[in-house]
Amino acid sequence: MPGVDARVSTEQIQERIRTIGSGRAAARHGAEGTATGAPLRIRGSGTWLDAGRTVGNAVPLSLEGDEAIVEYVPSDLTLTARAGATLFELARVTAAEGQWLALDPFGSSTGTVGATIATGSAGPLAHAFGTPRDNVLGLEAVTGKGEIVRAGGRVVKNVAGFDLTRLFTGAWGTLAVITEATVRLRALPERDQTITLALPPGYAMERWLAKLRALPFSPLALELLNAPLAHALELGDRALLLARLGGNDDSVREQLRRLGALGEMRPAPKDAWRALAEIEPPGAAVVRVSAPPSRLHALWARLSAPDGDSLVHAAAGRGIVRSIHIASAHAPLAPWLAHVSQTEGTRIFERLPAAEWSAIPARANDPLSRAVRDAFDPQRILNRGILGEVA
Amino acid sequence: MLARSSELATYSSDGLPGYRLRPRLAVFPTSKQQLIDVVRLLAREGTPFVARGAGTGLSAGALASGDAVVIGLNRFNHILRIDPLNRLAVVEPGAVNVTLTRAAGAHGLHYAPDPSSQTACTIGGNVAENSGGPHCLKYGVTLNHVLALEIILASGEIVTLGNADGEVDGYDLLGAFIGSEGCFGIALEVTVKLTPNPQGVRTLLADFTSIDAGARATSAIIAAGILPAALEMMDGPTIRAVEASIYAAGYPADADAVLLIELDGLDAGLDADVRLVQQHCLAAGARTVHIAANEVERARLWQGRKKAFGAMGRIAPDLVVQDAVIPRTKLPDVLREIAAIAARWQIQVCNVFHAGDGNLHPNIGYDSRNADEARRVGMAMRDIMQACIAAGGTITGEHGIGLDKLEYMPLIFSPESLAAQCALRDAFDPERRANPGKVVPVHSCREWMRA
Repeated sequence: MPGVDARVSTEQIQERIRTIGSGRAAARHGAEGTATGAPLRIRGSGTWLDAGRTVGNAVPLSLEGDEAIVEYVPSDLTLTARAGATLFELARVTAAEGQWLALDPFGSSTGTVGATIATGSAGPLAHAFGTPRDNVLGLEAVTGKGEIVRAGGRVVKNVAGFDLTRLFTGAWGTLAVITEATVRLRALPERDQTITLALPPGYAMERWLAKLRALPFSPLALELLNAPLAHALELGDRALLLARLGGNDDSVREQLRRLGALGEMRPAPKDAWRALAEIEPPGAAVVRVSAPPSRLHALWARLSAPDGDSLVHAAAGRGIVRSIHIASAHAPLAPWLAHVSQTEGTRIFERLPAAEWSAIPARANDPLSRAVRDAFDPQRILNRGILGEVA
Repeated sequence: MLARSSELATYSSDGLPGYRLRPRLAVFPTSKQQLIDVVRLLAREGTPFVARGAGTGLSAGALASGDAVVIGLNRFNHILRIDPLNRLAVVEPGAVNVTLTRAAGAHGLHYAPDPSSQTACTIGGNVAENSGGPHCLKYGVTLNHVLALEIILASGEIVTLGNADGEVDGYDLLGAFIGSEGCFGIALEVTVKLTPNPQGVRTLLADFTSIDAGARATSAIIAAGILPAALEMMDGPTIRAVEASIYAAGYPADADAVLLIELDGLDAGLDADVRLVQQHCLAAGARTVHIAANEVERARLWQGRKKAFGAMGRIAPDLVVQDAVIPRTKLPDVLREIAAIAARWQIQVCNVFHAGDGNLHPNIGYDSRNADEARRVGMAMRDIMQACIAAGGTITGEHGIGLDKLEYMPLIFSPESLAAQCALRDAFDPERRANPGKVVPVHSCREWMRA
């Protein structure tokens, strides 16, 4: 693949960053060699590169191939891997011990652990297990100043020092290149069952969602799917709830009984979750809009538009609606973009055509975030522009 | 405002013996506006300050010296709002942990992090320390339960971190602030998650004739994939201290270790997990595994655990409650090593801790007026810390670095890593006036400034 390095070590990454940094410093003083000063675009396996804004004029820094599992003590339920290890490989290794990393971000499972953490990406399992910030115990990273930093550790509870682990998680590589991560694992549930539940008519959704949230147990995942998405996943032609239940036999039986009281229930294949994660084609526009869970019904009614073509799903417990728009002749982007942009809530765009980003407010652009950026990557060497920030 | 020496004595120490520092002044704002005014006045004067909650900290983190002013937040303590539909509460930082849980109880909810000091400690203090507690094994620590913070920086600027109304965009400055031990600013308002009370709870007490057997049972339960709500261990000296006190919980006084194990969730399925836990305990050598028959008995079993520090306090004038974390598989080895360290320095260590997390609390009762004994306690602490680090662990799981553990920071972090921590602090507080001299050794910060 063009632009992909051979496997790189932490020290080599440090060297590259330092070279760029000193090249830029020299250029400022009128010396030669500005060509060496181009910023780096950090990449894992390259499957999620269309997420976020483009990093202009950048040289790729690939962590692909640096995929070793450094340490795995199953009885401690912790695992340390190099950033280039894929989620697929982690799942394979941990499943052999009856364990898993309970993160299922949308996209291909060939995505890397480094990219998942750097982008803070989470999927339906976040309902029960939280997002990367709740599952990462420690990191090794190289800052934009070229310093190799270790944050956190390999134990499940740790308050030693200021929390760089949380800072680097979800920072989109703009503060440091994550090179290694220690994650918390969990035991695979004894039973892992997926079902669908028919949704009530729109006017009854508010009460129905409140009942769903009030169930005396926490399912592993609860996702609402609109009709086009249910259809695309071969789960029928009506909007429905896709639920994943875990626990021992007695517990899952009781969970099924209680969920069954909320509507027509059908078994569904566990593969539906993987299919959901990979449903969006390249070039799709994707947004997440979130609000307090008690307002989800309104958000859902507005965004799941039964007459539209967009594929829409929602984390029922978390109050997050995710809309996937696939542009075509009869479904242009502009009306969708206008509709989601006028929807009240916290909007986070995941993917957009390059030309559309300029209208979207930058992330991490407040004075405090800029001060943090200045402290870790003062020369804007890492993923410059990916947050839409002013360079 | 307190300025007289006798009045300031209370604010010269926290829950950890061996440190006394007298602040110049202590002020007690009772409203948000007063707190803002105080911080802005100190900003104009360039005066350092130390925020303090209930003073139950165990790392000398809330002590102020020299010029520094203590800002006591325990009178800025209202619960502003409980939203049962969205399961969240908004509180002032001085609100007491258990007060919030009691208020949420009316809605079948509770605030999950439950430090042993929860009847006194404040939510703001919990945020500063990223506090844990027994039930954090299943439910997570403070970090996992704070949705948003309104904070005032040392400069006087007010900033909102996190988002109570949806997802968080941008850097996780909320995550960075939690556990920053008062060095990044002061919380004005804290929005926390509330957790539904579980439908069913089972509390078990397993007793063992050796610490080793208890540690093996712990490892077996965790490795089997059971996630108890809490899994606590107390060793023989702790059991006997508790049983000799007014907090007697009915622990077998001849046992060398007990495990207090709590399982919760749907009633259906709970008994199957109880049976599995019983089997693992018996296989590891438990003499008996007793299941609390009712709420009264359950409360009694927990009282012994939560008041264990108080019970130990009866025995010696001073008590050091230590804190470290190790990988859970290392529990048997490290507990044996701690026993050897205690013997070497001729001191008595009582272990009462969150075994399920590998979060140790070796406690040493002593008399600080006895210089030789105090020295031996200090040496033993250092050896215990080094043993935990050597086992792949860390020097604090929930009590913080404060002043007490500054000297160990270079043992677990490289100079570059410490300097990066300072850089983060400087983004929040470039003048380093918020809780100066804590968490990261000062010389590490100087190096970063020169770089």
